Amino acid sequence: MLEIDNLHVSVAGRKILDGLTLKVEDGQVAAIMGPNGSGKSTLSYVVAGRADYEVQDGTIRLDGVDIMEKSPAERAAMGLFLVFQYPLEIPGVATMTFLKAAMNAQRKARGAAELPTIEFMKQVRATAAKLNISQDMLKRPVNVGFSGGEKKRMEILQMALLEPRFSILDEMDSGLDIDALKTCAEGVNALRGEGRSFLVITHYQRLLNFITADVVHVMSRGRIVKSGGPELALALEASGYAEYAEGAAA
Amino acid sequence: MTGLSSKAEDEFGRLLPADVTPSARLFFDQFQRAGLPGRRVESWHYSDLRTKLRAVPEMAHAPDDAARAVARHKLEASERLRLVTVDGFFAPDLSDDISAVAGIDISPVGEAEFFGGAADPMLDLNAAFSRGGFLLDIAVGARIDRVIEIVALTGAETDRSRFGRSLIRLGAGARAEILETRDEGFAGFGDSALFIALGEDAQLDYACRCRETAGVEVQTVNVMLAARATLRAVSLLAQTPFLRRQFFVSLAGEGAELKLAGAVILGRNDHADMTMVVHHNAPACVSREIFKYVLGDHANGVFQGKIVVPPHAQKTDGKMMCRALLLSDEAAMSAKPELEIFADDVACGHGAAVTKLDAQQLFYLETRGVPHIEAEKILIDAFAADVFDALESEVLRDLLRTDLSDLLGEEEPAS
Repeated sequence: MLEIDNLHVSVAGRKILDGLTLKVEDGQVAAIMGPNGSGKSTLSYVVAGRADYEVQDGTIRLDGVDIMEKSPAERAAMGLFLVFQYPLEIPGVATMTFLKAAMNAQRKARGAAELPTIEFMKQVRATAAKLNISQDMLKRPVNVGFSGGEKKRMEILQMALLEPRFSILDEMDSGLDIDALKTCAEGVNALRGEGRSFLVITHYQRLLNFITADVVHVMSRGRIVKSGGPELALALEASGYAEYAEGAAA
Repeated sequence: MTGLSSKAEDEFGRLLPADVTPSARLFFDQFQRAGLPGRRVESWHYSDLRTKLRAVPEMAHAPDDAARAVARHKLEASERLRLVTVDGFFAPDLSDDISAVAGIDISPVGEAEFFGGAADPMLDLNAAFSRGGFLLDIAVGARIDRVIEIVALTGAETDRSRFGRSLIRLGAGARAEILETRDEGFAGFGDSALFIALGEDAQLDYACRCRETAGVEVQTVNVMLAARATLRAVSLLAQTPFLRRQFFVSLAGEGAELKLAGAVILGRNDHADMTMVVHHNAPACVSREIFKYVLGDHANGVFQGKIVVPPHAQKTDGKMMCRALLLSDEAAMSAKPELEIFADDVACGHGAAVTKLDAQQLFYLETRGVPHIEAEKILIDAFAADVFDALESEVLRDLLRTDLSDLLGEEEPAS
């Protein structure tokens, strides 16, 4: 579903991704683990289409289509979704207005009619209830005054409503207590299945107790240095990243 | 006289009718002594009328049938109680029969009925030339449920000089909601004045939307608030080739309250100058001024705000804020907030900030599938729309909100 080939990316002259190659199959949950500064968040932003990165080489394909020249919105309409590590606060924009704009923009891009307001409200309410998101939260401006956990639940709400084919979870577990982590993980697991894939970026194995990965990749110095099954995450939890940091330096 | 009189000043002199009243003649002499304001006059530094107004269009006359037909064509059906002016002249036949509504009285305005306005050459010029305005009286204690709308239209097919001058008075304890829609076309010159006097405990929500103002236009709003009176006044300015909108406010009675706010949305080479002087002339008055500017293309925004607190106006509470969002590198914003405080027990503050759209917020919206242009509109709307909260009237707030989103929908924000 997602194929990244030989990706080289710099920010302000500093190389962050150095020939990264990665393939995530249809229906697969792939985890990327790695130490701080290995380029994990950069990878998620570049795949989502953020403009301030300098891509020197490489391709990213979603369902076989090269997305390198596509805007973030076009990528979203193709079914790409990014759960932000630090979701943005947008004062003055009501959450419901934002959700409706997003859902309708994607429907429009796919040639579907706008969602009738009643249907929209119904969907949001039902999905919000599953994620313990109160009506009061929905009335506030986007993420404004939300706790870290509330912000992450809002991300999962958006994901559930937009039903993306490919989701990137950028350190979804950061800032979450164990209950919020469970709630978010349940939201992700509910979407798992044929035709949907996930790239789960994390420092810690803990998240993978709640979202079981099919494959685990280790990232260091801007590339994938090792791949394996879920047992690789457990090994990392025990031994740390020292081996990979040194290996990359050599 | 300050220096040589410009060509425009001579032309105004030529346009002054031979049979002007002595007081109109006095105002004109005052105008001539000061001269057409320009860069060298501090309070007009950012709006150089002297350079802008090279030629003075012919005077607009009281509307004839043809002019009324042109104006009528622009009127859309509305639920509101409507007062229509054509080139500054009150047009009863285009207006609703507002006198049938209990508590409202409308009549032609007489020269004696205006309270003293600020010392400003353009206000003097208006006083010299204006004829045919209206006096809107809301009776003591009256509560007017329907929105009263003042619609300023033009009946001219060519450039004209317009000098509307009207007065709104609310008796003690009266409450009303007034919408002013200024749609006088891009052409000509305008120098209008509106006087608003609120009696004790009166409350007025006043929203003004200015679109397609004259090629060169000055609007002056003079406000006088008695004790505990409250004025909430919000302006939405857009598509203004060259506009100066100035408020001169006197908080004349103890405990009077003013909320003055505005959103200024400009593109092209538009120029809009919001200038306000708020005199806290009594103790314990409150004033809040908040203005937001959204500037694209080569637009030029000006904010000048002055809060004046004389020694006896203790317990004054005044705060002023101006924020500008620049959408292009060629757009410019000049902000000059000032405080003149001579009392020692006051809480006053001001601030000004210029920003750009937040790239991270834009990216966040885009990753949710909202195209770039749409995302910009959402953020611009969010930036500007909160100034409308200064109004208590939900109807007026919603009207301005809809107007703003229509405005943003019409044109792609320039980048």
